[in-house]
Amino acid sequence: MEIKTKLSLFAVLLVISSLLSVCFISTPKVVAQEPPKGPWVDEVDMFMETDEAKVVDMLEKNEIQVYFRDITDPELFKKVKASPDLWYATSYGLYFELTFNPVGPEFPKTGKLNPFAVPRIREAMNYLVDRKYIADEIMAGMAIPRYTALTPAFPDYARYADTIKEIEKKYSYDFDKAREIITEEMLKLGAELKDGKWYYKGEPVTLIFLIRKEDQRKAIGDYVASQLEKLGFTVDRQYKLSREAAPLWIFGDPADGKWHIYTGGWITTLVSRDEADNFGFFYTSRGLSVPLWQAYKPSPEFDYVAGRLWNRDFKTMEERDELMRKALELAMKDSVRVWLVNQLAPWPARKEVSLTYDLAAGFSGARLWPYTIRYVNKTGGVVKIASTDILVQPVNPVAGSDWIYDAMYYRAVSDPATIPDPFTGLYWPQRVEKAEVYVLEGLPVSVTLDWVELKFVDEITVPEDAWYDWDPVAKKIVYAPPGTTAKTKTVVYYDESIFDMKYHDGSKFSIADIVFDFILTFDRAKPESPLYDESYIPSFQAFREYFKGFKIVSENPLVIEFYSDVVYLDAEWIASSAAGEFYPDYTYGPGPWHTVAIGCLAEADGKLAFSADKAEEFKVEWMNFIAGPSLSILEEYLDKAIAEKYIPYKEVLGKYISEDEALERYENLKAWYESKNHFLVGAGPFYLDRVDPTAKIVVLKANREFLDPADKWLRFSKPMIPEVEIPSIPTIVPGLSAEIPVSITFEGEPYKIADISSVKYIVTSPAVTIVGEAEPIEDGEWNIVLKPEETALLPAGTVDIDVLVVSKLVGMPVSITTTTTVMSTTEYMMSELAKAKADYETRISGLQSQLDTLSGEIADLSSRIDSLMSMMYASIGIAIIAIIIAIAAIVLSRR
Amino acid sequence: MYLRVAKYLLKRGIALFITVVVAVYISILIANAGGYVDQIIKSELYISISQSVRQNPAYKALNETQVRALIEEFYANELKRIGFDKPFIYRSFIYLMDALSLNLGRSLFISSDSGSRSVRIIILERLPNTILLFTTTQLLLFFIGLLIGLLLSRRYGSILDRIFVLLAPLSSLPGWFYGIFLILVFASFLRILPYGGMVDVPPPTDRFSYALSVLKHMVLPIMSWLVAYSFINIYVRRTFFLMFSSEEYVELAKAKGLPESVIQKRYILRPTLPPIITDFSLTLIASWMGAIITETIFDWPGIGRLFYTASVLFDTPVLIGLVVIYAYLLAVTVFVLELIYVIVDPRIRARGG
Repeated sequence: MEIKTKLSLFAVLLVISSLLSVCFISTPKVVAQEPPKGPWVDEVDMFMETDEAKVVDMLEKNEIQVYFRDITDPELFKKVKASPDLWYATSYGLYFELTFNPVGPEFPKTGKLNPFAVPRIREAMNYLVDRKYIADEIMAGMAIPRYTALTPAFPDYARYADTIKEIEKKYSYDFDKAREIITEEMLKLGAELKDGKWYYKGEPVTLIFLIRKEDQRKAIGDYVASQLEKLGFTVDRQYKLSREAAPLWIFGDPADGKWHIYTGGWITTLVSRDEADNFGFFYTSRGLSVPLWQAYKPSPEFDYVAGRLWNRDFKTMEERDELMRKALELAMKDSVRVWLVNQLAPWPARKEVSLTYDLAAGFSGARLWPYTIRYVNKTGGVVKIASTDILVQPVNPVAGSDWIYDAMYYRAVSDPATIPDPFTGLYWPQRVEKAEVYVLEGLPVSVTLDWVELKFVDEITVPEDAWYDWDPVAKKIVYAPPGTTAKTKTVVYYDESIFDMKYHDGSKFSIADIVFDFILTFDRAKPESPLYDESYIPSFQAFREYFKGFKIVSENPLVIEFYSDVVYLDAEWIASSAAGEFYPDYTYGPGPWHTVAIGCLAEADGKLAFSADKAEEFKVEWMNFIAGPSLSILEEYLDKAIAEKYIPYKEVLGKYISEDEALERYENLKAWYESKNHFLVGAGPFYLDRVDPTAKIVVLKANREFLDPADKWLRFSKPMIPEVEIPSIPTIVPGLSAEIPVSITFEGEPYKIADISSVKYIVTSPAVTIVGEAEPIEDGEWNIVLKPEETALLPAGTVDIDVLVVSKLVGMPVSITTTTTVMSTTEYMMSELAKAKADYETRISGLQSQLDTLSGEIADLSSRIDSLMSMMYASIGIAIIAIIIAIAAIVLSRR
Repeated sequence: MYLRVAKYLLKRGIALFITVVVAVYISILIANAGGYVDQIIKSELYISISQSVRQNPAYKALNETQVRALIEEFYANELKRIGFDKPFIYRSFIYLMDALSLNLGRSLFISSDSGSRSVRIIILERLPNTILLFTTTQLLLFFIGLLIGLLLSRRYGSILDRIFVLLAPLSSLPGWFYGIFLILVFASFLRILPYGGMVDVPPPTDRFSYALSVLKHMVLPIMSWLVAYSFINIYVRRTFFLMFSSEEYVELAKAKGLPESVIQKRYILRPTLPPIITDFSLTLIASWMGAIITETIFDWPGIGRLFYTASVLFDTPVLIGLVVIYAYLLAVTVFVLELIYVIVDPRIRARGG
């Protein structure tokens, strides 16, 4: 009985538990997945892999997910493009050109002819080289033609895109024109053309061509040499590595005549907002003090314009625009360099992984990659990244490695005050709420983003309580001398959450981090200081020249004033420079005061040195926070700091740090070191978990105590490069207005008008070029309106229409070219008459057909009437007969 | 007798030391190519510094004079740092002294894996990796060659012998070629062995798993060399032993009816010992220099790649460091071999006079 009861109870419980399990297990909770704090992924493993072919195979096999280097082999690039599992980002950092030796026309040392001493011959070289051929064939599509000193993906190119487009048209490939000009000039120089070969003073004109052989420049050099040979020159092709060519073209005297042309290559690693100094650098003796640059003799006008641009000798953007346009044209006339192509560097990754890339520096150079790297379909996971090198030099925040192969991981563990936009080069606030920038009236500064407020003022005087310098002997801060003025004043309001920011070792951010950085900036430049570093002096002097004062206006919330003579074109750059100058995100890594202070102790005792130069001078180790013999020395000084409750620069920092706070930080660092075996502590989205220097592996793990959620910078995962289309192209009639619609979208969605900076158009005909701006209709729809007086200028025939769209979200302008027809007035009238005639004929034939139909209908009607009449006659007949019968009947009945 | 041997050894030692000094100094001169390398380094430094200044956002707002001044100052600092503010002849003796004293000095550009600029640390960090991989490989190759070579010499003309002779031409291709092939098969296609590197990514945290991971990463590079060089080694050894087997005194021993084992040991192995020991010693030393292409293909952080990097960057102190270590090892080996020869081969006697 009891058993029975128990069984019944068990059965009931089983049923209830089954029901409950159904309720709790089979019904999933529907909860929106919150982005995690810190990065999207849990771990990033970086390691070295030098073989591109292996890398592509590893990517395809999912052994790695991202490659922090561009693919240079065209065949491998094709493989990446064809792979359904891979995608690639494109950067524009590397560009090739022809450098000419401008000495002559006779080399003083050899007496040989140098045709490239003549600017017109150099200019004609622009016609001689087919840049499209170089880009499409030699570079297998991994390049775009480049004609000027301005990089095609950068903001200055966008600003002057119309002028550049005109230059591109004017200097497009024209072999015959090149031959004509060069022949004319060669004859003027006294050269003779015999049997298709140029001779000078009885000897063949031989051009010594230094061709770099380690990359595509070998093929480019061969192509240019062939073109020159077709003109009758004898070309001595000297294939050289960088190291073999460098002593000749950089330090060699061009007057020695050891070379005529060199296949130059340059690289830029950040999206430059201001390329105005390129003219002075590349075309004039202002650039470098080596013999080649000193041989540059630009026209006085060009030299003047280039000088003004470099030294920012202009008051408004309009004035700068004018100078830039002038410089672009004069540079083509000078052509001491002929630009050839801008490489499109592909950076491959797996499709399921998304991360920000920089238009100049690809994945590894993008400051935002640690903030945006993620698997598109999941949160968390491990991403493996290969790179051609890693752990190249010692890492320390003050003067450690500046290699991108080191910066790519130490930037991930640091969190800056502002972050550069990878697509426009403008700065966005990360730990700053807002900034006010005051600039002297008449300086060419503008603002784009709304976190910065720009105001123009007549005068900026630095207050006398602003910090100006450091006295290492008296150990006190020096205040700004009375009457100190500045060109800019920036008030930075740091984000209130900044005091919640934790370093990886658990220490909290404090103002002491900023004050310490301020003092160290000056202390290292003082010969009386044990931290004095001679190699630091040049950069310090540059800083000293523009730095005018620093003031902490409020400690909580943290507000500072920064006075400076540095003037950038963008107020965001001025604000970023002010916010970041003493922020504990140093140039070479994160620098909370307690980690740097340990290094300072070691350097002051002559055991280690922050910089390579000082390490060399004192024959000690270059300080490395992450590996090697430095670690045990740093540990020794950490113990010392703990024992002494050491407060660096106590005379000043004693106000901001108590002994207990200092001890807490050191103990945090000690625990960190014991756990992770390194001293690289930051506040970034990742922390450095492990380093294997021999195997060249770095393991980064997610910092889940990071202040921001992972989706904060998500919008920078992909550049919103506009997709431009002209849906229908009308024929233009002189004297009549014309409207050309332009569609601007991104991934099928209309591009917002507010995000478009400009939509320029250039209508090019043999007679006239019309430049203007399109009008917005609605998001994604713009109209080019040509007025009657503009169309009246266009001769009959075809015209090219270039549309240049510049987005505020991406520095790179997008252009499309289309062709339409312009009719002459007579043609138009004849065409109109023909149209009218055709119209009338159509109408007449329509009328005729209508008439035919009508007559048919009438005939039909008449036949119907006829039949009706017959019926009527029959009816009448019948009626008459009926009447007759009726009458007869009546008559008969009366009888 | 001992005095005569000691005098002889002292003379040999001095001669070897002078040879090392001369060889190292010639290497220093060659590494500098009569001052041309200085020009190359200076040119590359100058252009790289000028680019770095122009790229630095902190200097973007400077005018042309400031930019040029910065470039010149940074350049001068860098020349001072690498010692190029002093004439080459002065530097050459510094390099020589550093090298001979085994202090080895400081590198110009290369940092050790752990970030040190000390040439000694740079080399010492790489040497164990190279010894681990290439000395293991060379030992395997040596003993495989010796044992199978001896075996085949005894079975001359057998099927096995003919197979090995047939396979000998495999060595016409270098080890790294087979390396690529093996990576394709075992890493890319079968996916059972790693593409390269020294350890898994991320590296295992406990030592045992780490060691296992390193072993796993050694399999393909070792296989590539075994495939490439085993057969030719065996062939050479076999021929070598065959030549010795046909010596008249061996024939005489056979005619006397001595057992095969005695003939092997006393009449074949004993007289061949000095060249075998020499070969073995030199092979070991050579293995410590690594192999540039194999290390590159397998991403193995060894001395070969260090040598390549130092050559590309013209890092003279590192190059000299590698050369002097090799020179010392060679000199010591030669010196020791002379002693061993005396012991193992009674026909060789020291001539003190």
